[in-house]
Amino acid sequence: MKIGRDDAQALTLFAITIAFMLVMSRVGPGFGSASQIEAILVLASFVMVVAFGQHFVVLIGGLDLAVGSVMTLGGILAFAWIGDSATALWWGVPAIVAITGLVGAISGIGVAFARIPPFVMTLAMGTIAASAFLGITQGVPRGSASPFISSLFTGSWIGLPPVVVLTIALTALGSIVQRMTALGRRVYAIGINPNAAFLAGLPVRRVTILCYAVSGATAGLAGILMMGYSSGATLTMGQSYLLPSIAAVVVGGTSIAGGRGSLAGVAAGALLLTTFTTLVTGLAVGEGWRIVAYGSVILIALLLLRSDVSRWFKPPSGIQTSTARLDAGA
Amino acid sequence: MTAALFLAVAAGSSDAALAQPKKFKIYLSLSFTGDAWLSEAANVVKALAATPPYDQEVELKEVISGTDPQKQISDYESMIASGADAIISMPVSTTALNRTIRRGCEKGVVFMMFELTSLEPCTYNVSTLTSGFGENSAQELVNLIGGKGNVFVVRLIPGFIADVRHYNGAMSVFKKYPRIKTFEYYGNATDETVQAETSKALAAHPDVDAIWSTAGESGAVKALLASGRQKLVPMTGEASNGFRLALADPKLQARGLRGVSSGGTPATAGYGFKLLMEMLTKQRTNVPHYVEYPLPWVPADKVRLCSGDRFANGCNAFPKSKVQDSFFDEVFNPAILPELSLTAALTGKPTPGARIQKLTNPIVAAPQEPGITCDRCTPPPNLYHLTKVKATAKP
Repeated sequence: MKIGRDDAQALTLFAITIAFMLVMSRVGPGFGSASQIEAILVLASFVMVVAFGQHFVVLIGGLDLAVGSVMTLGGILAFAWIGDSATALWWGVPAIVAITGLVGAISGIGVAFARIPPFVMTLAMGTIAASAFLGITQGVPRGSASPFISSLFTGSWIGLPPVVVLTIALTALGSIVQRMTALGRRVYAIGINPNAAFLAGLPVRRVTILCYAVSGATAGLAGILMMGYSSGATLTMGQSYLLPSIAAVVVGGTSIAGGRGSLAGVAAGALLLTTFTTLVTGLAVGEGWRIVAYGSVILIALLLLRSDVSRWFKPPSGIQTSTARLDAGA
Repeated sequence: MTAALFLAVAAGSSDAALAQPKKFKIYLSLSFTGDAWLSEAANVVKALAATPPYDQEVELKEVISGTDPQKQISDYESMIASGADAIISMPVSTTALNRTIRRGCEKGVVFMMFELTSLEPCTYNVSTLTSGFGENSAQELVNLIGGKGNVFVVRLIPGFIADVRHYNGAMSVFKKYPRIKTFEYYGNATDETVQAETSKALAAHPDVDAIWSTAGESGAVKALLASGRQKLVPMTGEASNGFRLALADPKLQARGLRGVSSGGTPATAGYGFKLLMEMLTKQRTNVPHYVEYPLPWVPADKVRLCSGDRFANGCNAFPKSKVQDSFFDEVFNPAILPELSLTAALTGKPTPGARIQKLTNPIVAAPQEPGITCDRCTPPPNLYHLTKVKATAKP
């Protein structure tokens, strides 16, 4: 099996994460314990689900600054609509994911057809969404938490919290789409050169809208999960996930210019950043130094990934990059 | 004919003017909104302004400025220019708005700040900041754990004056006990962040003995429960309904959850508004510029569920079906704000049939505290003295 550059980066990040955990296990009694690893996996799930959609947008050279607001929208709707009704669960989750996907698609339409710069369009959509739910809820979301969604964080499937299993499944599914389908290759092609992709007859606008819709849908899904985790919804519940979602994507090896990166890398990035913040919280580092350290970890990870780490893992010839895969598939 | 019509209209409008006295133009200026605390604060003011007789005396306009001082300065300027009689506000900064506020005061605008204060001497302020949440709740916790153990300290928002005051008060107590070890982190005053950060801290320090939390404490309870541990630990927190319900739960009490619910309250907005109205209508003079709101204090054994839509017969929490966990119960105060009900706190609409009651409680002037009630002043020697609890644990 050939290891491409993206895979090598993901492996490097996983290795750094494991190294972090080993360091942590020497710091104190609870560090590196099974319960700590479980807490890290659960908390990384939120970042991962939001970063999933962000990754597809960044891959085509865009950026989705609305994910925080859309995540909040998902949480508020889940709190209001689903509650403790088992029936509402079955129609509520797909409906909320569809609505938040539609919000993302509107951003995509603005970017693809009106040629509004992604950060302006998504910032505007995020602001509109935030203002709308502030007005509708009058500041206080009402409803009740779904016991089933809450149980995703306390139960156990194959020895892991269900939410972790679902996140792994989502990542695996996304990776298959990304690596083995024409749609996946089109996303890479558009990210590398949208003009060339357009001239080659690829449906650039349609794929762009789809990527933003996926970003909205996964942000909404993350909001539903967060509502279950905290058994409630607030108007600020998604705010703190915007920057981590971008950081996980970038640290995970996705080029901010588009056209390169993998979901495995994003998962590794989310895991690394969450592991680091957990370590820092456990050490009770002051808030100022915590932010300095967080920024430093992102920088160090990016520097490590800039060097061609794939050389560490593969023989001299046959480096398979995303571009190479694209060429092979084209 | 035309002249007669003109005179008739003029006479009519004159009569209308006499029948309809000029309303006070009051602006409600919020720094930000979106959480339960601020929403309740805004709703309380809106509900009171719509309650008779204030509904005939007040024209209330709400402005949300965001967390940028420049934006709030700009909004204050606009309010002053538009002829505001008063501004009731939660200021972003204790000092950055001073020049604009001073200009407003010179033009006759009355500034009433709630919970967060302004150091401009012409302002009026109502706040719990000086009432000692930090030191009293910390001492209660220390008493519960016998003066020793590992304590999580969940702070508010970095740079927030309330965070600094509560933290300093709490640490003034914890530092007296050398066998207490603290681990601190910020919860940003939201349940989700407090839950996530407490989960991280619990995983690293399973040997925690107590949690001292500011707003967002419901999240700390959820993190404790989600950690799967059988033995819970004593906790202090603010006045969220979820926390009070947890404190009153016999099953959780049996597992070791004890503590006290206290902290800042959105009722300061309502108290400030009523004080402001009594000043504007000349019913009250000689109001201290810094008024202390009494510290809410509800230990676990004093939590009582309300069957109605307000505090009555000593109740101080609501069933889960009526409000969500993050709802701040202490928005109610039967002595100061008897006009309020859940409808008022949740929607900003007046309580049906309610009428404004004159304030009869003693107005307590806040003590001098640098950065909160005065600038570069000398704090009293007993700044962090205990008012709600005595130290029973030995250092």
